[in-house]
Amino acid sequence: MTFELFIFYVFATVTVASAVVVISSRNPVYSALALVLTFFSCSGIWMLAEAEFLAIVLVLVYVGAVMVLFLFVVMMLDINIAVLSQGFMSYLPVGVGVALAVVAEMALLVGSKYFGADIIPPPERHVAEYNNTAELGNVLYTVHMYAFEIASVILLVAIIAAIVLTLRKRPLTRYQSPEKQVAVRREDRIRVINMKAETEE
Amino acid sequence: MLENYLPVLVFLGVGMAIGVLPIAMGFLLAPRNPYSEKLSPFECGFEAFEDARMKFDVRYYLVAILFIIFDLEIAFLFPWAIVLDEIGMVGFIAMAVFLGILVIGFIYEWMKGALEWE
Repeated sequence: MTFELFIFYVFATVTVASAVVVISSRNPVYSALALVLTFFSCSGIWMLAEAEFLAIVLVLVYVGAVMVLFLFVVMMLDINIAVLSQGFMSYLPVGVGVALAVVAEMALLVGSKYFGADIIPPPERHVAEYNNTAELGNVLYTVHMYAFEIASVILLVAIIAAIVLTLRKRPLTRYQSPEKQVAVRREDRIRVINMKAETEE
Repeated sequence: MLENYLPVLVFLGVGMAIGVLPIAMGFLLAPRNPYSEKLSPFECGFEAFEDARMKFDVRYYLVAILFIIFDLEIAFLFPWAIVLDEIGMVGFIAMAVFLGILVIGFIYEWMKGALEWE
């Protein structure tokens, strides 16, 4: 077993183990944190496949941003764990059905005659100067330009959808307007009155 | 190519060891004598008044999701910046259109007041 294969098995084991924790943990916050570990080790596996840019983007976007969002949602749901674990038995048939369907699909795909190490040879290793980010950029902005522009439209739809769904104006909230605070002058706030000193005769 | 990343692997290993070893040593070596009073939650000596988990305002979610969208936009800029002298004007205009579409979204959220925090 080569060193690289050993590293792959370490990352793969951590990925599968933490994914099991994601679905089996009772506390949803623990599940979200286990999902962070899953993403980290997945990024290690992508790095082994020489997809260096995608590996870093996985950490940057998923671990850095998406998981924060997941944690917000988990917190916002205000989950009652006792209520959550009630319906386990009633949902079990549906869950088993979905799991069996997925396993059957995967078996069909992996077992078919189009898949396997003898049909698709493993990609050859690149030299040390190989730059996966540059390879990606060379095709992404020229050959796949159409898909790239579609991505920006999808992001635009996401911006508008998020704002329409969650933006609520609160007319009753009290807040300060800093520009008025800055523009205020002394005369607006205090009035100096000249008056005679009162003295007891 | 992967041999360039050996220092990163070593770094990961050392970081993992520094994180895990103190906890594991504390778990194995420290004396443990738990009883129910010691393990019960309290606030300033009193019983806890409410659950630690509470509802957050949905505005945090909006800020987070807008951050993710522009984070993704930045992720698209990195490979573009590396190969800009190779892909030339075509790549430049492709990115200009990409950014232009996202600027529409940026103007929309600015005008809608989604960036205000009341």
